[in-house]
Amino acid sequence: MTLEQIRALLPLIILVGAAVAIMLGLAVRRNHAFTVAVAVGSLAAAILSLALGPTVATPITPLLRLDGFSVFFSGLILAASLFVAVLSHGYWNRRRTVISEEFYILLLLAAAGSVTLTMAVHFASFFLGLEILSGSLYAMIAYERDRQAAVEAGIKYLVLAGGSSAVLLFGMALVYARTGTLDMAAAAAKLAGALDVLTLAGVAMILVGIGFKLALAPFHLWAADVYEGAPAPTAAYAATVSKGAIFALLVRLAAAMDIQSNPPFQATLAAAAVITMFAGNLLALRQSNLKRLLAYSSIAHMGYLLVAFLAAGTLGRTAVGFYLAAYIITTLGVFAVMIVLSGTERDADRLEDYIGLSRAHPLLAAVFAGMLLSLAGLPLTAGFVGKFYLLAAGVGAHLWVLVAALVISSTISLFYYLRFIAAAYAQPAAPPALPAAVAMPRLARLAIAVLVILLLWLGVYPAAVIRAIQEAVAIGR
Amino acid sequence: MPGLLADGVELWPLALYFVAVVVLAGGILGLSYVLGERHRERATGMPYESGMIPTGSARVRMPVEFYLVALFFVIFDLEAVFIFGWAISARQLGWAGYVEVVIFIAVLVSALVYLWRQGALDWGTARRAGADRDRSGRRHGDE
Amino acid sequence: MTTVPMMHAMIVAAILLGLGLTGLLVRRNIMFTLLSIEIMLNGAGLAFIAAAAHWKQADGQVMYLFIITMAAVEVAVGLALVLQMYHHLRTLDLDAASSMKG
Repeated sequence: MTLEQIRALLPLIILVGAAVAIMLGLAVRRNHAFTVAVAVGSLAAAILSLALGPTVATPITPLLRLDGFSVFFSGLILAASLFVAVLSHGYWNRRRTVISEEFYILLLLAAAGSVTLTMAVHFASFFLGLEILSGSLYAMIAYERDRQAAVEAGIKYLVLAGGSSAVLLFGMALVYARTGTLDMAAAAAKLAGALDVLTLAGVAMILVGIGFKLALAPFHLWAADVYEGAPAPTAAYAATVSKGAIFALLVRLAAAMDIQSNPPFQATLAAAAVITMFAGNLLALRQSNLKRLLAYSSIAHMGYLLVAFLAAGTLGRTAVGFYLAAYIITTLGVFAVMIVLSGTERDADRLEDYIGLSRAHPLLAAVFAGMLLSLAGLPLTAGFVGKFYLLAAGVGAHLWVLVAALVISSTISLFYYLRFIAAAYAQPAAPPALPAAVAMPRLARLAIAVLVILLLWLGVYPAAVIRAIQEAVAIGR
Repeated sequence: MPGLLADGVELWPLALYFVAVVVLAGGILGLSYVLGERHRERATGMPYESGMIPTGSARVRMPVEFYLVALFFVIFDLEAVFIFGWAISARQLGWAGYVEVVIFIAVLVSALVYLWRQGALDWGTARRAGADRDRSGRRHGDE
Repeated sequence: MTTVPMMHAMIVAAILLGLGLTGLLVRRNIMFTLLSIEIMLNGAGLAFIAAAAHWKQADGQVMYLFIITMAAVEVAVGLALVLQMYHHLRTLDLDAASSMKG
């Protein structure tokens, strides 16, 4: 391995090294603040090492490849992990009964798995990244094992993720059996667009596996229960980092295998996109639990992303990149408000918890409303620009049905987001259900401020970011 | 179509072996069933035919340590697989492979240190008395 | 009779995958569910081994090592969760674990 390759691999080395260091540190002495500092520091160092890393595309062994595409998505993932780590600090501090330090080990490992996914150009690294990510997620979801709901959610996720991984692996094995290579690009070249029954089944099974992990319809039913049972930081992590990483992998896999131009897959994915958008938005209408609502809304957003994914090309990939960034910032923003409001006993995930929020915390209520409006795609927010790009990509590729479905279903989404905003600005009839957490940690406050700035920046002046993404995904090919 | 086994490897000894195993096991069971002596007294079905009458359920709840040891076994057992994988081609892999396997083992050792310090390797409750945080910290983490 | 054609091994692997999937859908006991996942994973593993033997490569066997590692992780976390579930519910029936509705 050359020095250049080690430099390219540095983010992963830092993350894994920090995870082991925290583990050894815990063997000596437990200290929550110190653990958080190491975790946040290593995530920041990993981002820095990405920024200072090689500027040309660097293959690192046949398994991984650092190029503009992976730098952009890794950066996104690491930044989101950093926000979750910062927000977790205050959250676990309030739950004195839970041992919190191991959470950060799992978080760092999950981030390492996600970064591996964005760099993967080989089925082996794809599988390894995915399993490192989901293995850590099992434990993160069931982290509060004294709560029954958390254990249930963990088991549910474990069973479904395990089953879908097996299907995914079988698909890979079928492709391998036909092509004799596990390298994505080489396998695609061997197939050369001509798929026989075996490889058709193989690719289809891989897509089913990915669809399960992204909670695309008809494989979306697990998401709401898992998010509800998981502690709020884990739910935030699963909704942002895990989905972002898997979507990045899907984009790279599709670019290598040219899935979008294959009629059967195109038709199936388009149908899945339409069902996903409507299922997510219609099911979200009935929810009065914010975590479940965000689960369904994240399902719907994955459906929106599929529109740009199916549009393919540089415009499609740019739209995917920008929309994922906007989605991650916004979803983190909503979860951040939920996390700082969560008390010592339970998470602030009920509609009642938000009634009269504007009275108690006017600023927090404004942030909450802004983030939800961005999820709904209203102007001046990142969500609006993102949706605009999705539509542009869809129209550019003449995907009229998908574009229509996107417009109609995101109109539906306005209703349920507005319900929570209305609650936040309603007059409380009774004193609030939760004693609002008054002592907001300084770091959490800073994190929320940064998220708001990013939201407005992407919403008002997206040109610079879009240019950067365009360059990144152009090298990605 | 090329198959699973390299050409020239005969499969029939394996098949013969398999048949022999089935015949032997079946023969022993069958013969003892046919030739064996059978009796049905009142106490035949009891665990101690000529001893005290057992009381209570046989389904004892195992201490959680047994499960814990089973989990550790599953994990550390597999890590040996990777080391074997390195060992059979150690010379080909050279120093680079050596450094990599040393890093791998170092990570394993730190995991072991962590488990040991958390009290996961202590058997029984006496040793862990007074270490409340350890008790709950023990089963978190990366098991 | 010196070789086993790859297709035969693939068919066995597919049967294993199908058996596991059926078990996953039909059985309600969490232990059998975990067992079914194990069977599915081994089906996928067998397919990799068969393909690797067909191409005379080690790649598929390496994938199998990764698969059993992942299976071990799954079992370890799964069993820990099963213990917790039994602690909360006093049963291993998955249908009992449905406190969340919506």
